Amino acid sequence: MHEGKAIDIVKRNGRRPTESYDIEKLHASIVAACLSAQTASGQAESIARAITKDVETWLETRPEVTSHDLRRVAARHLKAHHPDAAYLYEQHRITL
Amino acid sequence: MDIPSSLAIVTLAALIHASFQLSVSVLTLLSGHAIGAKQSQAKVARLTFGFVGGVGVMTLLTLSFISLIFLHVFGPNTPHFVWALVCGLLIGVGLAVWFFYYRRDKGTTLWIPRGMARHLSERSKQTKHTAEAFSLGLTSVLSEILFIAAPMIVSALVLIQLPGMWQLVGIAIYAVISLLTLLSIWILIGSGHKLSDIQKWREKNKHFLQFSAGGALAILGFFVYVCKILSDVAGAA
Repeated sequence: MHEGKAIDIVKRNGRRPTESYDIEKLHASIVAACLSAQTASGQAESIARAITKDVETWLETRPEVTSHDLRRVAARHLKAHHPDAAYLYEQHRITL
Repeated sequence: MDIPSSLAIVTLAALIHASFQLSVSVLTLLSGHAIGAKQSQAKVARLTFGFVGGVGVMTLLTLSFISLIFLHVFGPNTPHFVWALVCGLLIGVGLAVWFFYYRRDKGTTLWIPRGMARHLSERSKQTKHTAEAFSLGLTSVLSEILFIAAPMIVSALVLIQLPGMWQLVGIAIYAVISLLTLLSIWILIGSGHKLSDIQKWREKNKHFLQFSAGGALAILGFFVYVCKILSDVAGAA
């Protein structure tokens, strides 16, 4: 877990204020995508834990990332665990 | 124009309306957020039905409003130049749908202002009560008014020529048929189909839906032109 090291998330190419990286927010969004893909609650939590761990490893060398990149990397890891959930996760921003 | 021809035009216009995808996208997002927030299946069904109800009510109100305006302005005998304008509008919107309906990105992103799309997306996430879902349904009809205005206007012009009872029948036919896509999605979600499968189907077939909606608008414009303008001119000669 990232404790002590602050990572900035640049939102929408800087058109919205930059936020600090929030592991809970990432975790919750992956759980929601898994539940939307009809995954059991326990399995959704365990997939989300695995994905946040993978994303944190990727973040270790980066002081600042865009929300788009964060989402892309999370979706890539999620695809290995649950392709349907990864599809919904990716589609969330491009449905409307 | 006789009653069967009038109702045929209303039916085709409503089918075109049903093929537009903004409300379907909002319904898909709303269901995804509700399921993702661990809502019960019954709650998801109530929220989505509230949304479909809102779309239905706003469709009824908008069509009735447009018909009322036309009835006040033109009476039951609409001038030929107005029919010609509406035919042009149908063909123009049909071409615009062919070229601009979907953005050239992955997914099913539509050519609507991004601020409006973000607002609808955020609202679908925040919606927790059936009343909110109902009002989201009302809003989503207004958000796609650019596309649905043409089929609604031609239906309103056709409806105001009919006897009172048939006007009500025509409005009901339009509302029910225009809701068919949403009702199908609602039934699919309620019967446990995967949202990912529904969204994959929509993404895979988006160009077909775009082509058929645009083509049907142009055909409707041509049909109304022949049925109303050419036949009246030939009858007068």
